[in-house]
Amino acid sequence: MKKIIEVKNLTKEYKQVKAVDNLSFTVNEGEILGLLGPNGSGKTTTINCILSLLEFQKGHIKIFGSEMTPDAYDLKRQIGVVFQEVAIFNELTVYDNLDYFCGLYISDKKTRESYIEDAINLVGLEKYKKFYPKQLSGGLLRRLNIACGIAHKPKLIFLDEPTVAVDPQSRNNILEGIEKLRDGGATIVYTTHYMEEVEILCDRIIILDKGRILAEGSSDELKELASIDEKITVEVKNITDKVLDIIRKFKNVDEVTLNMNTLTVTYKKGKNNLEELIECFKSNKIKYDKITTEKPTLNDVFLNLTGKGLRD
Amino acid sequence: MTVFKTFWQVVNKYKATVILYTVLLIGFGGLNMATNETGTTFVASKPDLFIVNEDKDDELSNNLVKYLEDNTTIKELDNDEEKINDAIFYRDVNYVVYIPKNYGKDLLNDKHPEIKIKSTGDYQASLAEMMLNRYLNIQNTFISSNKNVDDIIVNINETLNKKTNIEVTSKLDTHATTKATSYFNFASYSIMAAVIFIICLVLSSFHESGVNKRTIVSSMNYKKLNRNLLLSSLVYSFIVWVFYSVLGLIMVGDILFSIRGIVYMLNCLIFTFTSLTIALLISTLIKNKDAVSGIVNVIALGSAFLCGAFVPTKLLPDSVLTVAHALPSYWYINTNELLSSMEVINMSTLQPVITNFIVLLGFGMVFIIINNVATYYKRNIVKKI
Repeated sequence: MKKIIEVKNLTKEYKQVKAVDNLSFTVNEGEILGLLGPNGSGKTTTINCILSLLEFQKGHIKIFGSEMTPDAYDLKRQIGVVFQEVAIFNELTVYDNLDYFCGLYISDKKTRESYIEDAINLVGLEKYKKFYPKQLSGGLLRRLNIACGIAHKPKLIFLDEPTVAVDPQSRNNILEGIEKLRDGGATIVYTTHYMEEVEILCDRIIILDKGRILAEGSSDELKELASIDEKITVEVKNITDKVLDIIRKFKNVDEVTLNMNTLTVTYKKGKNNLEELIECFKSNKIKYDKITTEKPTLNDVFLNLTGKGLRD
Repeated sequence: MTVFKTFWQVVNKYKATVILYTVLLIGFGGLNMATNETGTTFVASKPDLFIVNEDKDDELSNNLVKYLEDNTTIKELDNDEEKINDAIFYRDVNYVVYIPKNYGKDLLNDKHPEIKIKSTGDYQASLAEMMLNRYLNIQNTFISSNKNVDDIIVNINETLNKKTNIEVTSKLDTHATTKATSYFNFASYSIMAAVIFIICLVLSSFHESGVNKRTIVSSMNYKKLNRNLLLSSLVYSFIVWVFYSVLGLIMVGDILFSIRGIVYMLNCLIFTFTSLTIALLISTLIKNKDAVSGIVNVIALGSAFLCGAFVPTKLLPDSVLTVAHALPSYWYINTNELLSSMEVINMSTLQPVITNFIVLLGFGMVFIIINNVATYYKRNIVKKI
């Protein structure tokens, strides 16, 4: 598979703090790579280094097989960036903003017009072409921000936390738009600290913390790294210590806790755990209500790797 | 072209501000021109005089009274010292002449009679005193050589009637030059405000952190973008200059079609360029677009007050003018003042004007150098952060 981005031993230091520490990874053509990590983990710094917005102390960065430099305008022509903050002109309408940012790449007016229409349709801003930014909601502004970054139809797109502070409806719209971009053949680097988005969108995920890669792989591969496989929570009414001891002796049970009437059983691995638990309740005449079962999340993976949650 | 087009789209959003500064110029500038007409025109004036003549039957005394009546405005008052003193105090009369009894006879007998006077001490009183002294000097000259009253009176009157024609050779239309100077002085505020305000706001939009980052990562050469922005700013400033020059033609008139007018407009063009360099420097230094309005008020309004755009420089204290030397507006306004009173325009008389031009351009160059240094450090800091 063709490598679109190659990052080798990237190190970026601020005085004595290493924001990015000897980072190496690749991004393959047509995939969505998720950079997942808490705030301050080095996601944005990594992207800024890749885009030559920041000078770095060590490492090499290649995009489309060529060294990335501030003057690599031929490479930049194929790159689109959606920054974390909304970066637009407040004095221009939605259409004029798109015309300007697309115009930085595309000089032909007719081509530009066609591209702008496509971008507007992709993010669903058809009704707002003549609106000024101050007339748009936060969600619509985010959509405009994305449209400005991708209007020139780049082959490689960086999306830096594009859904921060966005309402659920706009978030869904944005995520759908990103899937459409991938379906159109674009390679995407997506940074976020929302694990749900990464699970939905990304083909491959890199978990970062303190500028270092903690884990890398698909969502399922990463979940293998979690210490638990399943967590079952049951509302029980008359459970005894004897029954709790029976449950603790089940195969694969990691931990059993009872908090008031809420019983939580975590399993390391295995199948049919729920079935076995219900059988136990029935045979011991335990009354139960409300059962929930959870598979491990990327947060559990992160917790397992660092001892803290993604949003801590 | 994209950058140029967007520059003007953003300018268009702020056009109300330019209109506001233009309205201020037309309103207050027009008022300033109307109330500041200090052209050099001469108006004949006569002092107000009261004569207490106690020698009414004498020909010599009466001849003096007739001379004074012809050359001053004689006021009717009661011959009461208290009332005379009140009239002097309230400036109803400027000068009071007391001709004593037997004045004429005493003169002929070489007794040197004294004419007493009372005076307000002002300019008009001095004028009256000059007239009286002139008469008495002539009278004394003729009395010393001839004691015939008729001859003396004829000689005095002949001498007094000798006139000298005085021709004012100046062709300077001071009314028009004063008007032009008033207009261009006031325009310094409008031009500076319109240039700094708009260019700072527009460039701030382009240099706003997110937009700037987006531009840097684009395939547009960043140097080319900055060149386009600079060119757009130059074109904008040029249009501001053309606009205010045309407005000047409308408000001031034909004088601007003369060589003097061309120098006025050239001065204005250089000042507009200097204002542009200030605007570029401020837009490099400011981080917050909201600060622009305050900065414009401090710089444009402050310069206008300190350098004499609204108030003639001759009315400003020396300490203020000393400080004003450090501001471009001072040199611009000084040139306007020089042009206002310059009799003949040629390379020799224009030397101080050319010096002022060089100083103004020097200010521009200094601002450009500071701007380049600031840009260099700013770019390096941003890259390392």
